[in-house]
Amino acid sequence: MNSLATLFPPLARLRRLPLSRDQVMLLMAAINEIFLGVDTYLAHSLSGTIRPNEWIPIIFGPVSGGVLLLAGLIALRQRGLAQVLATVVFVASIVVGGLGAYFHIARTILPGGPAGQQVTLDLFFWAPPVLGPLAFAFVGVLGLSAAWVESPPDSGTLSLLGGVRLHLPYSKTQAYCFMVALGTLIALISSVLDHARTRFENPWVWAPVGAGVFGVVVAAVLGATDRPTRADVLTYAGAMALLMLVGAVGAALHVNANLSGPSLVVPERFLRGAPFMAPLLFANMGMIGLIALLDPTESS
Amino acid sequence: MASSSPRDVVRSARLLVIGLVAVIVVLGLAIVLLAISRSTAPVEPGQVDALENSQDKCVACHRNTTPGIVQQYGHSTMAAANITCQDCHEVKADYPGAVAHEDTFVLPQPSTAMCERCHTAEVAQFNQSRHGLPAYVAVAGSQGLSEKLLAAYQAIPEGQFAPDKSRNLIAQMEGEAITRFACENCHNVGKPAADESVGQCQKCHQRHEFSLEQARKPETCNNCHIGPDHPQWEIYFESKHGIAYSTGGEKWNWDAAPGTLTVKDFPAPTCATCHFSGFGGAGTTHDAGDRLTWYLFSPISERRPSWQDNQVRMQTVCTECHNKAFIEVYYTNADAATESVNGFIRESNDVLKQLKDQGLVNDRPFDEPADFVHYETWHHFGRTAKFGVWMQGADYTQWHGAYEVVKGLGELKHFLEAQPEK
Repeated sequence: MNSLATLFPPLARLRRLPLSRDQVMLLMAAINEIFLGVDTYLAHSLSGTIRPNEWIPIIFGPVSGGVLLLAGLIALRQRGLAQVLATVVFVASIVVGGLGAYFHIARTILPGGPAGQQVTLDLFFWAPPVLGPLAFAFVGVLGLSAAWVESPPDSGTLSLLGGVRLHLPYSKTQAYCFMVALGTLIALISSVLDHARTRFENPWVWAPVGAGVFGVVVAAVLGATDRPTRADVLTYAGAMALLMLVGAVGAALHVNANLSGPSLVVPERFLRGAPFMAPLLFANMGMIGLIALLDPTESS
Repeated sequence: MASSSPRDVVRSARLLVIGLVAVIVVLGLAIVLLAISRSTAPVEPGQVDALENSQDKCVACHRNTTPGIVQQYGHSTMAAANITCQDCHEVKADYPGAVAHEDTFVLPQPSTAMCERCHTAEVAQFNQSRHGLPAYVAVAGSQGLSEKLLAAYQAIPEGQFAPDKSRNLIAQMEGEAITRFACENCHNVGKPAADESVGQCQKCHQRHEFSLEQARKPETCNNCHIGPDHPQWEIYFESKHGIAYSTGGEKWNWDAAPGTLTVKDFPAPTCATCHFSGFGGAGTTHDAGDRLTWYLFSPISERRPSWQDNQVRMQTVCTECHNKAFIEVYYTNADAATESVNGFIRESNDVLKQLKDQGLVNDRPFDEPADFVHYETWHHFGRTAKFGVWMQGADYTQWHGAYEVVKGLGELKHFLEAQPEK
């Protein structure tokens, strides 16, 4: 389905984009890897010390982003090689994300604590963000989905190396919707755990809760719908636009919260205060959600 | 059951995917709801004893031998972050200062080199401060320092002030039997360890809870900054800042995240707020002199190197509550008061010199009344007057400070006038 064009017919008359939907997704994945590296660097700099295992995502982010961009160039001549390269990077991204989640969860558990208090929600509020590293895993799964061609479009059949064809229960578009739902859920839970430290005293922090839940449910249901109506797609596109808006406003509010006095910039407040890049995860999911609605047809 | 066609398999897989997604979504939303509902109750990190059921061998043994430290550490945020006893105490056999202990080697008191492995910036700031080597050298002198430590000492602003300081004369007279319970209790905050790392973080971050609240409360500074030679504790409680703390401090946000403090957390400052905390537009520091403009501790106060930068940092803290005009007037007046005390002390130095030139006082230190009068005039009362000025303690500026300075100067002049010329 070319849902955006269905939604906004004038788009169908526009000249075809220079990149296919999957190529745009791969570009987003590369950008995400780079930004995740930067964001992780800022987060891991909090104590002024970065321990050896904390360097893994910091180095992996920009390196993997660079390799993916390189793979994009290689794909112009040798698509197979580029696909293998991208697959390796994305599998590694899943491993890095999984490892990070493990390290963070380990910091959340008190194995020697009293019975019943070894794992509590309170600990999750104050521990490193347990779901944060899963953003790497998310990008890995998203990238793997984008790296392999679906032929014919919206069939759920992927063409792998050596002519192997993999039949999936859902089309790639639907899979993207599921991924957007799960990615938004990660952003939602992370934001709720972070905002719980402030006890939700600021009314603005309820905005990502509402938009997040809406985005999760709408994306998941659209993913499960074989033939969405125009209204379904309109709702979904609205949810994605809302996520982008919440992300942008959230980033601005976080920056504002970290400014001191008359717009004074104190780097430490940006490191230790409201994480100014975190809300952009919502905007990121909204953008990926809208890209999923682009024409799935691959140019020859 | 009839055999499934490929189409049925795909259909089943769809159900599985929907089921899994639904489970994850519902669980995720449940966490969201739980988090929101729980966040309305006060969350106190460190309330849980992270070591209650620990099987760690250090914990198991010390629970019987020194249960107090296990109890304290169990409630620390360090224990909650899974930092173990071994992380800070255990070293290799050949590590300087290592002591054999239960089949391993430990540092009974971890040096700052151990703290530095995680708190790099904090230790670097501390090493550059008055609380580092200068505090130790002020009593012990610089003679015993290794070449490396002497170079480090002389690179610190307070070290440049007295680059080849000898052991404190009063400490020499009193002897170690006294000073280990007296001067060294405070001045060892900058004592070098066997591994040549400097200082004792635990002087301010008390073992073994390492509580933010404890480090931020003025009672912590009271351990040293008290008494006739530097009564900052007393002056603080005379000041409006201290009154605000005494009357409303129990409502302040003592566990606020470091580096993010604002007037919402601390409507008035403690010692830590002005001198160390990341507060408003000022970044966190562990250099006690980072925001100071004068060497107030010295007999004749001089401006610190880069005092203008320091002043900007301190005034950044002040501006969270006070307007710019108020701050500028305050600084101008306090500068003038400091120069005024300097004038009295200069005069007392001149009188003492005259006494010595005329042979009325010998060159041996601290063996005649005039020596003690001169010493107390600058070391006790001159400092007190200056600290009182800068910390808003009127009574300490006046009766415990400037009045006593004038009185001491008068006594010295009396020695000069009362003695017949030889």
